[in-house]
Amino acid sequence: MIAKVLISFELNSKKIEVETEPDRRVIDLLREDLGLTGVKESCGRGDCGSCSILVDGFVRLSCLMLAVQLHGRKILTIEGLNELEGVSISVQDAFVELGAVQCGFCTPGMIMSTIDLLNSNPKPSRNEIREAISGNICRCGAYQKILDAVETVTEELSESKNV
Amino acid sequence: MPVKPDELWGVLDENPEAVVYAGGTDLLVKLRSQHAKPACLICLERLDDFKGITTEGDEIFIGALTTHREMVGDPIVVRDLRLMATATKSLGSPPVRNMGTLAGNIVTASPAGDTLAPLYVLNAQLEIRSRSATRRAPIESFILGPGKVDLNHGEIVSRIIVSKSPKFGVHHYEKVGRRDSLACAVVSMAALVNVTDDNIISKIRLAWGSVGPTIMRFRSVESFLEGKALSIKGLSEAVRLVKESVHPIDDLRASSSYRREVAGRLLLRLIGYTPCI
Amino acid sequence: MKFNSINIGSILCRPDALLKVSGEAKFAVDYYENNCVWAGVKRALEPHAILKNIDCVNALKIPGVLKVLTHKDVQGTNRQGVIRKDQPVLVNDKIRHCGDAVALVLAETKSDLSLAIDAVQIEMERLPAVTDIATALETDSHLVHEHNEKSNILLAGDITVGKGLAAANQCDVLVEAKFETQRQEHAYMETENGWAWLDDEGRINIVCSTQTPFRDRVEIAEALGIDPKNIRIIVPYVGGAFGGKDGITVQSLLALAAQHSEGRPVKMWWNREESFLSSVKRHPSMMSYRLGAKLDGTLHFLDVDISLDTGPYDHLGGVVLALAMEHSGGPYRIPNGLIRGKCVYTNNPVGGAFRGFGVTQVTSAMERAVDLLAEKLGMDRLELRLQNALKAGDRNFIGKTLITSTGIIECLETLSRHKLWRRKLSWKCGAPIFKKRGIGISAVMHASGYGPVVPDYANAKLELTENGKFRIYCGVVDMGQGNTTANIQIIGSLLNQPVGRIEVILPDTDKTLPSGSASASRCTYTFGNALVSAAGIMRERLCQKVADLLMIKDSNEFSMVPEAIRHLPTNREIRLETIARTMDLAEKVVIAHFRAPVATDLVTNDQEMRLHGIPHNLFSYSANLAYIEIDEITGKVGVQKYLTVSDCGKVVNPQLYDQQIQGGICQGLGLALYENFETLDGYVLTKDLSTYLVPTSMDVPDVESVALGIHEPSGPFGSKGIGEISTNGPLPTIANAIFDATGHMLKKSPIKPEAVLAALERNLSR
Repeated sequence: MIAKVLISFELNSKKIEVETEPDRRVIDLLREDLGLTGVKESCGRGDCGSCSILVDGFVRLSCLMLAVQLHGRKILTIEGLNELEGVSISVQDAFVELGAVQCGFCTPGMIMSTIDLLNSNPKPSRNEIREAISGNICRCGAYQKILDAVETVTEELSESKNV
Repeated sequence: MPVKPDELWGVLDENPEAVVYAGGTDLLVKLRSQHAKPACLICLERLDDFKGITTEGDEIFIGALTTHREMVGDPIVVRDLRLMATATKSLGSPPVRNMGTLAGNIVTASPAGDTLAPLYVLNAQLEIRSRSATRRAPIESFILGPGKVDLNHGEIVSRIIVSKSPKFGVHHYEKVGRRDSLACAVVSMAALVNVTDDNIISKIRLAWGSVGPTIMRFRSVESFLEGKALSIKGLSEAVRLVKESVHPIDDLRASSSYRREVAGRLLLRLIGYTPCI
Repeated sequence: MKFNSINIGSILCRPDALLKVSGEAKFAVDYYENNCVWAGVKRALEPHAILKNIDCVNALKIPGVLKVLTHKDVQGTNRQGVIRKDQPVLVNDKIRHCGDAVALVLAETKSDLSLAIDAVQIEMERLPAVTDIATALETDSHLVHEHNEKSNILLAGDITVGKGLAAANQCDVLVEAKFETQRQEHAYMETENGWAWLDDEGRINIVCSTQTPFRDRVEIAEALGIDPKNIRIIVPYVGGAFGGKDGITVQSLLALAAQHSEGRPVKMWWNREESFLSSVKRHPSMMSYRLGAKLDGTLHFLDVDISLDTGPYDHLGGVVLALAMEHSGGPYRIPNGLIRGKCVYTNNPVGGAFRGFGVTQVTSAMERAVDLLAEKLGMDRLELRLQNALKAGDRNFIGKTLITSTGIIECLETLSRHKLWRRKLSWKCGAPIFKKRGIGISAVMHASGYGPVVPDYANAKLELTENGKFRIYCGVVDMGQGNTTANIQIIGSLLNQPVGRIEVILPDTDKTLPSGSASASRCTYTFGNALVSAAGIMRERLCQKVADLLMIKDSNEFSMVPEAIRHLPTNREIRLETIARTMDLAEKVVIAHFRAPVATDLVTNDQEMRLHGIPHNLFSYSANLAYIEIDEITGKVGVQKYLTVSDCGKVVNPQLYDQQIQGGICQGLGLALYENFETLDGYVLTKDLSTYLVPTSMDVPDVESVALGIHEPSGPFGSKGIGEISTNGPLPTIANAIFDATGHMLKKSPIKPEAVLAALERNLSR
């Protein structure tokens, strides 16, 4: 047995400490050890974006990170959005209202990419949205409605700022 | 996960079998497909000494661990290295660009690496460090073949150095992929060109990706083109020369004949930069 | 939620979406327990071989390995399949494709499992692999199944229409072409997986990602020799299926593992590579077409020969072939011809159900043939289609009289009036430097349901709960298509209840009733019809109950209102909750059965063909248009605009309708331009999503969708099938657009840039 490593990080706004094997992938830590099954695995090698999480605010692939890399970082998964306010709730609502969800397996990753986009660019064009979600495969082909949903959030955000 | 270079040299000394990675977007994929579990994996992501983009005199220094996203958003890159910005934007996907690093793309040494053809035409130099020494190598001699680089155990790439001058008016990069995101280049071409007011190519550097074991530069084509008009007529002989010079392979993404054909034809795109248009 | 109307024809946001955006929705893959056992499969990785021995010694030495099971541990027939039971759970005699399951390993952890799977050794005697249709059909070919009556043919048949081949000579113009389509992988985001446990009563419970829980139960029971009563299948949310989960994937293996895990729960989850290796695919096809017409453009004759590569197992190969044959002439009147089809066994990956189900292949051929004919006749391609398009009362090519709503003419006429059709020439002429533009169209029909022999029914169960809500028990899986939401709208609107007063129970063989598969564009039509009946019975029963309670004679004076029943003349109300308390359980539950009408036309006397589904009774239609731009330097095709006009009946929920349209087009564009599951000599070359190119957000245009909303009298609220038709349009529409741009018809898919470049070159040299 390889010795376990103790790591501490902020997960969905809570500080946590866990012991883990040095070769354990982040996705396995999150899903199997911490019960965060909203993070989905679909390809295991960075080709689909289903396992996207935010690490210090940037979207990353949890299938291509080892758990030890989380040490000292701020991690946000889809489950963590429910406790946040503002942008993330608007994004979730818009995905529901505009029909951006079909089977829903890509949805958590898709939403994480959207939040990363809106954090760095609150007024993206439709093409910029296209680019931002281009690492997230949706096999149901819901892209058009996902774009509609993100556009709606963008419009709402800029309206609320103008008010 | 070393944080300071000294820690890195220590871990490298202690673990002669150690495998080093930064973003993990290539190495962890490779380990998965080989069912391999190396005894020691060193993650470089916390080595802040090897990050950041600075200029000194005529040179731009890019920290090895600069992520692709950082490259694309950096004001120095946007101003002076438009070519790198364009090429980097076409790499992988947004999350891959958040994780992957410039040096990672270099040491993976894939002939399809999106940053490589631009680095070749920029005549980039690599700064390579070990515990005891620092050396510089031009990228062209550093990359030896697919996945093969001139790097010894105990050495890592620390910085990428690009000269600011000479200035080129045209920075062109085109990646031909089978789809428009998450695509591996079937062929790519990077070009730096200066064109005179009367449409004559005064200076040109060209490099192609995915048409040989490494990125390919054909200086004969470059010197052939200098002095020629930037027009279909002026370029067509060079298109033929390029098709004769490349050595592409067949794979699931494209046939060698397609790669050969397109490698040549990509030159024609430069016509879009004709001053009179 | 802004969109919460239960009215039919309005948008009701999907209640499941609320759970899916928060990460709370539980898929089969999200089941874990600390004491679970991991199960995994040793795959053959050889296309054709005699199995000699399975050596488990080294695998069993690995710490953490609990069991290695082989065919010797299977108690039943060890055979599964939908029509023909020809696929082993674990190989016992012969390996027939690389993805065959040879041994089942049980281990403590995922990493123990993968080490042990590598350590299992298969001793085998390799046989020459049969890997293409032509070789498979040679008289001295090696046989995939030695005891098959018709050598390597799974199913073959021919149907003569009118005067048959003799009518060829009566044509003024005849075009002839051969088409080839590729093997397409479903690539659903949730790979095959499940969770199983043996309970205290000795029953095996399986939570899994499937389209067919009830059929699975029977198949597992037979294959493993278990009483079906002792198997329970539960299907939570499914992360995509598209036909690929229409049948057994992990189910029998999981049940077998649960039999040997000593009471511990078992988890199995195929990774992407394993999913690619072992799952079913869309059948690769070879199609020869000869299409003839009179000088005035009247279609007169069609000769079709279709061959499908079904891999080593039936799965649904025969049914796919039958549906392909039935649709081979498209939505046109063609009085004469011959349809020949065969589905051929090979040692390639297994062919199976995939959204479009054989219609995708033949539509792509027929619609290209129509464009070739239009060119030869010198006719406008839309005029030619309109002139020959089917209307109610016509017989389609296979000879079936159309007695249900038939809107292809309206689809084509609407397309002809659309600005994208009217402005096509000016758009085409505006191509920038190094670009060439083209416009393509296509006309499509697609059947729904099972055909004349296999019973196509649904049983809807509806319960009034203790607290006065209505609970729908639906045995038809929601794999993302949203039938659950449509069901809520049906009950909500018929019983006049708001969305919050309606609950749904997802498929569970213990709770819901058998209602057929979630496939064949039938979910809302068939189950919806049953649910409409259930709602009627419930309403009548409740109104009568209240009338009796209030001692009012005429129950017709009562009406359902939200949460209550109201006596209209007096405005007296009794809350549903109150009524529920006065009823016993049996009274509170309504079960209604619906059996879809079937075609009685005797288009063939071939019982095999009828059994496999020829002919159908109900069809949806669409007309499609695409604007494409070809890059002359690289040959890359960019799809700029895509319009689809569809006749899929009245729209129950426009948002769900759009989702089906857009999604199917996305998969169809993948088929047209990108996706190709490649093999060489039976070995799989396409191993992951970096080489299997599913369209990304950058690769598909926004789709313009016009739903005609024609009323289908037999459908719930006038609706009919929408699930598959949109998948069939893109390949022919894009190919026809390239034909328009270059003058060359490309006949092989996916349409690769190199083929487009070659077409451009030929155009220049013309």
